[in-house]
Formats: sequence, structure tokens, C-alpha cells
Amino acid sequence: MLPQILAVVIFVAMFILIVTEIVERHIITLGCAVLTLLLVFGLGMQSMDAIVQTLNVHSIFTLDFWYAAGETSEASSGINWETIIFIAGMMIMVEGMAHVGFFRWLCMRIAKMVKYKVIPIFMTFMILSFILAMFIDSITVILFLAAVTVELSQLLKFNPVSMILAEVFCANLGGSATMCGDPPNIIIGTSFGYSFADFVLNTGVIALVALIFVLIYFYVACRKELTAGNAKLEELSSLPSPESAITNKGGFIVSCIIFLAAVVLLITHAQTGLSVAFIGTFISIITLITSGKAALSLLKKVDYKTLLFFVGLFVVVGGLEETGILEILADFIGDISGGNAKIMIAIIIWVSAIASAFIDNIPFAATMIPVISNLAATQGVNLEVLSWALAAGTDIGGSATPIGASANVVGIATAAKSGHIIRWGKYCKLMAPATIIVLIISTVMIFARYL
Amino acid sequence: MSQLIISVGREFGSGGHEIADKLAKHYELPLYDHNLLREVAASMNVNHDELQPYDEAKKNRFFSRTVRGMSSSAAHNVAQLQFDYLKKKASNGESFVVVGRCSETVLKDSPALVSLFILGDKDAKAERVMKLYNKDKKDALELMEEHDKYRKEYHNSHCPGKWGDSRNYELSINSSKLGVDETVKIITAYIDARRK
Repeated sequence: MLPQILAVVIFVAMFILIVTEIVERHIITLGCAVLTLLLVFGLGMQSMDAIVQTLNVHSIFTLDFWYAAGETSEASSGINWETIIFIAGMMIMVEGMAHVGFFRWLCMRIAKMVKYKVIPIFMTFMILSFILAMFIDSITVILFLAAVTVELSQLLKFNPVSMILAEVFCANLGGSATMCGDPPNIIIGTSFGYSFADFVLNTGVIALVALIFVLIYFYVACRKELTAGNAKLEELSSLPSPESAITNKGGFIVSCIIFLAAVVLLITHAQTGLSVAFIGTFISIITLITSGKAALSLLKKVDYKTLLFFVGLFVVVGGLEETGILEILADFIGDISGGNAKIMIAIIIWVSAIASAFIDNIPFAATMIPVISNLAATQGVNLEVLSWALAAGTDIGGSATPIGASANVVGIATAAKSGHIIRWGKYCKLMAPATIIVLIISTVMIFARYL
Repeated sequence: MSQLIISVGREFGSGGHEIADKLAKHYELPLYDHNLLREVAASMNVNHDELQPYDEAKKNRFFSRTVRGMSSSAAHNVAQLQFDYLKKKASNGESFVVVGRCSETVLKDSPALVSLFILGDKDAKAERVMKLYNKDKKDALELMEEHDKYRKEYHNSHCPGKWGDSRNYELSINSSKLGVDETVKIITAYIDARRK
């Protein structure tokens, strides 16, 4: 009983501290991880095995970790090193692309392609946001897209707020479509051994259908505000050319090739047997080798705090898992749904969405992995269906409020730098209905397809 | 004349604003207080009314989130707009007097900065508030407490140092002892000596 109480207290304290931001979140999770190791595993369980199992370092030195990991079907416990190594690798690749001006070039190119007309920019930027977020992190997508949107809004004389919010929504939606789009999906995929194609054929189809409704929704909701902009033709000549965004032509071409290679490796990883940890490592090494002198600055730009946050988080969740708390939670969900798969799926989607609207979806998803694994084992519900429900709920729910997802914060902060303050009311008025629409679509599609 | 930036932190009722105003007149410098946000809004071509509710407002930890140094908090973002504007003015070599707005921390790297904190005795401050706002003593004390709490929360949610802590300011002075005019004289003497 003592280890269970300690694990829950540490977990709850971690969540409260993350929300209050008293100290940086990686310090919180690492501190709570140390407490978990000492108090839960050491003092409470007195189990060295639990510590070794949770730290999970041995997994890195197995062949499965790098090759043919896609065939694993067992949920791994403890620190998910595959997720951490993959995210680190993608961070380096994305920094390399940003360094040579890829993202800014792409945004400016598309704006020019639609002749700098506001509504076509609005629609194409939403689609661009969705597609980019399928492969790279939504923070980077919004960082560049929102900055270009603000720049264009000043020249084309429109209010950038609704366009930025629509881009944020589509980035979160695009992230739900693939295994590497959003951290919860990477955690789900690597924990249960799903492939990139598994996600595309399941959450990807849902996201694509939802995108059609989302495009219509944002067009209807924002068109009046956006058509108010009216720039004179001569002002368009002051716009920088897309090519001016490229800082290094050779590096730009190499970055494009590396990005395409990453996409191909991810799409084919079920066939090649290469794990996402291998792909992340390979792509980062190639990026660093081809970056020459810039390699060191790329390494410095890696968001180590986020990686450390993951390490600490997995240990704390490992504490809940090893002490059996998550089994109790799974049994509770099983009991209140009366063994009914539809109710169980609905609970997973909607509770995940509501929770993700207010708290970080990464710790939530990490906590729910063992829960759905237990639910599948004890209630006989298909684990894959529960996984897609969890992915949809956590990825989509985050869009509803300003604090639900990282991309939301980046979009709001970028708009604020140009004097456009996005309040909770303004944000939720536009984004919450879109979130509910997509959650309904997701629920209906999962029910219709799998149950 | 070499650049001079005077930052004035103050307790409510201490006469800090009046002292800042007199210092601005004495050195013939522009004074920034609530008008700073109006200038920021004008420079960005946005509506001042959208920013105004968050002027000197504290960051709410429970309803905001920070990602890689960026925040979703409206109060934080409006404060940052003002901080950036002040830093830009300072780096452009402009001289000015600024009331509050965490300016003693925001501009601490500027060699032209003289940071002051004006405090006062409770009774003297209450008397001043009663006279200025036509209030009885009870209401004046409540108003003082409310304003000082608001200023403290705003300051401490945006700065590492504590509001009113003498270690954060060059000069902390109790205006109740000598009155506003004599306090201004002492401050100007200090500033003049400091600029020699």
C-alpha cells in the first residue's frame, strides 16, 4: 500500500507543479523521478528489479531497439528511449532545415503561388500546416508559419489572429495523422510496436476527413474578418522574394533531400524493419555531417529540456505502473463502462480530449498507455482501437484551449509580438467548436469502422 | 546631455508618481506611465483598448503555459511588449522617466539607469490617499492594500527580484519623512552626483 500511495502522491505533485510552472518542467519531472526511484522503488518496494525495469537502459543495447522493433507487440514499460532518441534526431534535422531557410522559403513560396490573396493564403496555409505537422513537430511548424502570417498581415492589411489560430488547429490535427506528428503518437507507436502506415491508415484517415470539415468551418467563421484586408498592388512589391529566405543554397538542397529521406524511411519502416530510434539517429548523423561548421550550433539548439522532461516523466509513470495503480484505473474504466466497448472508447476519446485541453497531453498519454494495455487484456477490447481513440483524444483535445498544446502557445506568443493579444475567450470561441466537431467526427468514424 | 533613464517604483500613496513627474520636469524628460502602452499600441498599429486590461497585470500561472520561453499569458505578452519597447528606447540612447513596469529590472543593463523606490509611512500615505481620492481612512487603507498587492503581484510574476526589496534599487527613500518636494531635491542631488 505504501509504494502505491507514494507513487500517486509524487505523480499528482508532478502534475500540479507542471501546471503552476514554479520551476521549469524538466526539473519537476526529473526531481519527481528521483523521488520515485528512492521512495517508491527503494523505500516502498525495495525492488532493484523495478528500478532496472523502469530505467530501461538495457533495451537500447538490444537488436530489437534498432531493427525490427515494429514487430514487437508488447507494451514496454519505463523510460521509452526509442521515443526520446527519435525526437532528438528529428529536432536536429528540423534545426538543420530551419538554419538554411527551408520553412520560411516554403511559406513565402506558397503565398506567392496564390498571388498574395488573403483567402487563398488562409486555405493553403492551413493545408501546409497540416502536412508539415505530419512529419515535424508542431512547434516548429507554427513558429515559422505564424511569423510569415504576421509579416504578410502587415503588408496585406488583415488581422492575423484567426489565420494563426486556424494554422495552430491544423498543425495539431496534422500531428494526429501520423506516428511522428505528435509526441503522444510516438509514445503510443513505440510502446505497442505500431508502424507509420498503421497510424496513417487509422488516425490519418480520421484526420484527413476531419480536415475537410475544419477547412469549411474556419472559412465560414473567418472569411469576413479576412476579406477586410485590402492592400494596394504597389505594396506587394515590398514583399521579400521566397528565394531571399534561403541562407545557403547547397545546404538548402541537402536539407530537402534529408527531409525526403526521413519521410521515405518513416513511411517504409514497417517494411525495412528499421525502428524510429534508428531513423532518428541516422537522420541526425547525416544532418550533422552535411552541416559542416554549423553542426555545433545545431546541437546547441536541440531542446534538451524537453528530452529530459520525457526521461523524468517516464520514470514517474513507471512508478504508477510498477505499483499497479494504472491497473486499478483500467479496472475502474472497465467497471463504469460495464464492459461495453463503445462506452469504453467514448470515455477514452472524450476524457483524453478534455484532460488534454487543460494539461500537457504527453504525460497524460504516457500514463494512459499501460491503462489501455490493461483494458485490452482484461476487457477484451481491441488494443489498436483503444490506441487510435487515445491518439485522437489527446492530439485533438489540446486545440480547445490556449494551454492545451505547445503549438497553441507558440501561435499566441507570435501574434502577441505584433501587438495582437489573444485572450482565452477569443481563442476558445473559435477553437473549441472546431475541436468538438473533430472529436465528434473521430468518435463516429471509430464507432463505424471498428465496432 | 548624456543619456539619463530614471525608473521609479512606488508604494500606493507614497507620492511616487508625483515625484516621477517632478523629476521629469526637472530634467526635461518625457514621463512614461499608463501612456507607455498607448505608445506601444500606436507603434504597432493596434487598438490600445485590446492591450489596456493587461497593463501592469500579473501572470496567472494556472491559466497560462510556457513553451520554450514563449507564453500564452496575455498579461505576460503585454508586459513583454512594454519591456521590449523600453529596451529599444534605452538602446536608442533616449532619456526618459518611467513609473513602474518592472523598469528597474528590465533596464538594469543600461548604464544610464538610475532606479528608485519610493515608500512611505502608513499613516502619511493614508492621509494623502484620503485627500486625493476623497475617501475616509478605512477606505483609503483598503485602496492602498489593494493597489500595493496588485503592483507586488505584477512585479513578482515578471521579475526574479521582489517588489520593494531595496537590493533591487539604487535608492529606496521614504517620502513621508521630508515630503515630496524635499525628497525630489535629495534625489536630484543624488542623480547629479551620480552623473558627474
